[in-house]
Amino acid sequence: MSNAVKENTILKDLLTYQTHLNGQSSLLEKIRKESAEKVKNTPFPTTRDEDWRFTNLKPLTRGGDFVPDQEESSEYDPSELEEYFIPESENTRLVFINGRFSTEYSSIDDLPEGTLIGNLAEFAAEDNKIVEEHLNQYAEYEEDIFTYFNGAFLDDGSMVYIPQDTKVESPIHILNFYTNSDQDFFTNPRTLVVADKFSKSTVIEEHIGLSDNRYLTVPVVELKLFEGANVKHLRIQRDSRQAIHISRPVAHVAQHSKYESYTITLGARLSRNDPKIVATDEEVDFTVDGLVLIDGDQIADTHSVMDHRQAHATSHQLHKCVINGEAHSVFNGKIFVRQGAQKIDSFQENRNLLLSRDGHVNTKPQLEIFADDVVCTHGATIGSFEDEELFYLKSRGLSGEKARELITYGFALETIENIEVDSIHQLLLKEVERYSKSHRDEPEAKPVA
Amino acid sequence: MLEIKNLHAVVAEEGNEILKGVDLTINKGEIHAIMGPNGSGKSTLSKVVAGHPAYEVTEGEVIYEGEDLLELEPDERAHKGIFLAFQYPVEVPGVTNSRLLREAYNTIAKEQGREELDPLQFEDYVKEKLELVNMKPELLERSVNAGFSGGEKKRNEIFQMAVLNPRLSFLDETDSGLDIDALKTVANGINSLAGEDKAIVLVTHYQRILEYVDPDAVHVMMDGKIAKSGDKQLAFKLEEEGYDWLEKEVQVNAQ
Ligand SMILES: Nc1ncnc2c1ncn2[C@@H]1O[C@H](COP(=O)(O)OP(=O)(O)OP(=O)(O)O)[C@@H](O)[C@H]1O
Ligand SMILES: [Mg+2]
Repeated sequence: MSNAVKENTILKDLLTYQTHLNGQSSLLEKIRKESAEKVKNTPFPTTRDEDWRFTNLKPLTRGGDFVPDQEESSEYDPSELEEYFIPESENTRLVFINGRFSTEYSSIDDLPEGTLIGNLAEFAAEDNKIVEEHLNQYAEYEEDIFTYFNGAFLDDGSMVYIPQDTKVESPIHILNFYTNSDQDFFTNPRTLVVADKFSKSTVIEEHIGLSDNRYLTVPVVELKLFEGANVKHLRIQRDSRQAIHISRPVAHVAQHSKYESYTITLGARLSRNDPKIVATDEEVDFTVDGLVLIDGDQIADTHSVMDHRQAHATSHQLHKCVINGEAHSVFNGKIFVRQGAQKIDSFQENRNLLLSRDGHVNTKPQLEIFADDVVCTHGATIGSFEDEELFYLKSRGLSGEKARELITYGFALETIENIEVDSIHQLLLKEVERYSKSHRDEPEAKPVA
Repeated sequence: MLEIKNLHAVVAEEGNEILKGVDLTINKGEIHAIMGPNGSGKSTLSKVVAGHPAYEVTEGEVIYEGEDLLELEPDERAHKGIFLAFQYPVEVPGVTNSRLLREAYNTIAKEQGREELDPLQFEDYVKEKLELVNMKPELLERSVNAGFSGGEKKRNEIFQMAVLNPRLSFLDETDSGLDIDALKTVANGINSLAGEDKAIVLVTHYQRILEYVDPDAVHVMMDGKIAKSGDKQLAFKLEEEGYDWLEKEVQVNAQ
């Protein structure tokens, strides 16, 4: 009486394209082989899996087949790319076009001694010790076919190493461009950031869809922060409105280190983001804030894990979503406090501003605490505009539209206030302004049942 | 300027009647005070005049400068010069005071056919107004009322009034919770914003503000109606003797 549905084999089928990759590094080759095996042995998720209950992968599984990117088929105008460069990162810029490293547009120069920034595949081919030691060590997403899928195609990617006691002043700007193309393509960007003891750096990871075509990108980001390291990680997802973006950013943070990440989700038809921060030692401090602005038929799903394995950690997560049209936002935030991890101070809040009748929100903050001396506050709210707030602004002469625009803008602003890279801050202000302006109509009243 | 006749209003959601036949006439150049016990409908009256959607007017009329005010949206009323200083000013996170005020000022100016101000001009304009209410300039760049102290919120309402320069203002308990210095500052602000072609209605529980702002009339609201009107002496009597005597008087009159 089994009514088992046939498993979707889309990712398994794509493994045939592994032969397209170059074989210059035995390390990468080994990871690819092992990962491919895991892809074969891991079931593709369905909405019957707890972690995928609210997010249907139809936009990925239905539609044209994916091919690896053939460079010839990609169409873009070089000046288009340059618009996205920022002056702060003139000499600290890595550019990828449909997953391929671009020597032409990347620019790395004037780095402090010992600092390494460049193409992961090249470092791996040179048997770089840091890559050997750290690559694929942190992305522990058990039974996650997407992480394995990324590993199976490990090739070009970003590699950042900041030596001990070094501060890299310029933010390191990693631009992943996705171009228009005749055929839907898939890419598996990988980023490795190793921040040595007491170093300080900022990494901007951007995903930019240049057109409105369909593609699949599965970024895996691994960050290792050694003792006392300080890393700011800005993630800006501006994928095409038909893209499928499934990302796994993971940070392992050691004693006295500080990791701050801000993820801004604007694009993609379907995005799924699973940030995971693991406090491997005592006295760490980390932030995993997020802002999601979606409309139309977009789905944005964040499943985060804040894993406190040792005592005396401070952690912060403010995840804000604005939803319009028929868009759907999902949040599942797990806070783990392991046995003996006392004196944890953890804050988590998911706030949703629902602008339309047909928008949809699922939210579930989740605490799993196995220590007794901890302070964990968590909560979730879903709300529309408050009458009192609207009336206050209207009584000052603002139209209903303007009032809603300002409230939306103000709501979203809080999550980007702490972003210190000026170009990026300005860019996000504009995005927030644009979004708020285009969604100021009065929500239709729910029909009375 | 404003004529309220037999105004009845209910809570739109559940139909509970709060205003039960208010009559009140306010002429240009006048300052009126409205007093009355908690829950008698003072704030509701102010909000109905400003157009709060939570209340539905079931009877009566509100005529402002010959025009039916009840037909207008709250923002249209503001464009015509009506202002409400809230008893509980609302926090608007992420929107700075200066942004709100510039937006508000320019919208109203445009509607009234006056010139809009660019950010620099507006900065100059606002500077004098800050001094008028003795408000710290930092508060301009803070989110509207967010994290403001009680006194700062009240001062901010008067500051907004100063910037928008309304013709008819309802100040709902703007004097509550102010220390003596703040009270004087706020009173000074009010006096300098009063004028021949303007009118101000002070909703208050205390006569102490009336020592600095001289009212032309004092009204007492009870159970959704104006129960008694008089001059400043009425305020003194109420402060000394409470509302009991008036309640009795109202009951006797009713019989
Ligand atoms: N939106 C509302 N929904 C339900 N009841 C309301 C609403 N607004 C006012 N009321 C009720 O109407 C009555 C009058 O309230 P209002 O705020 O106008 O009184 P007030 O005279 O301003 O009192 P106070 O001196 O305490 O400020 C109260 O009983 C109050 O609970
Ligand atoms: Mg009141």
